Amino acid sequence: MPDDQTVELNLPSKIGYERIAIGGVAEFAKSVGFSPPRIEDLKTSVAEACINAVQHGNKGKPDARVLLAITFKENTLFISVFDEGGGFKAELKDPNIERIIDNLDPPVGFGVFLMKRLMDEVEFNKRSNHLHEVRMTMKLTG
Amino acid sequence: MNQRPNEIKIESHGDIILLDIRGDVTAFSEPSLNSAYTSAKESGPKKIILNFEESAYINSGGIAVLIQVLAQTRRNNQKIGITGLSDHFKKVFNMVGITKFATIYPTQQDALSAMSSMS
Repeated sequence: MPDDQTVELNLPSKIGYERIAIGGVAEFAKSVGFSPPRIEDLKTSVAEACINAVQHGNKGKPDARVLLAITFKENTLFISVFDEGGGFKAELKDPNIERIIDNLDPPVGFGVFLMKRLMDEVEFNKRSNHLHEVRMTMKLTG
Repeated sequence: MNQRPNEIKIESHGDIILLDIRGDVTAFSEPSLNSAYTSAKESGPKKIILNFEESAYINSGGIAVLIQVLAQTRRNNQKIGITGLSDHFKKVFNMVGITKFATIYPTQQDALSAMSSMS
């Protein structure tokens, strides 16, 4: 059972449902005092984590789910996004827009790139062969 | 949850073509953006403005589609202006490097004024 400070969301593994997640996270973050610009950073990061969970974690499996757990403690917002995949083997390298424009690289990798820059911390945790967590944190400052 | 197709109006402003893009910008925007760009380039414009809705949801899939359009504009030697972005997406476009290939202007009028004087 989650504690009484934690909100959980259980979403279909389909593109588009990340909008439900970002709506919930935005309301939660607003209620604990995050500023509108930081909430926008959160919305993009959570959307990208959910999209990755659907596309790369659950790999389009129709009956898979994407789970989110959101909690706020010690002035820090913690968001975990779980999928049913085995996770990343290695750190993804940052996308190089010059190489993409010149058709030397595929136009991928922007989601993780943005999550790392917009959040204070991002961790990729392989919990088992069928459970992967992206854990993101953002401190409430000022 | 399905995304409604983007409505894209194509306007001529002197030697500038403006694509007025309504709706969210995601991977689902690829056919409508590509089709609008293909129509826009028929008259051989050297300057194009992409005007977005300030409230639009833009994700990495939409950024990838936009970068593919920018790749085409680069091959066609076209200058690109972008307007209508929220402060957040101005920051995001800068982070991913889109501003190396397109100029973000505060308003559509600013873009039209600045780009009309370009050769």
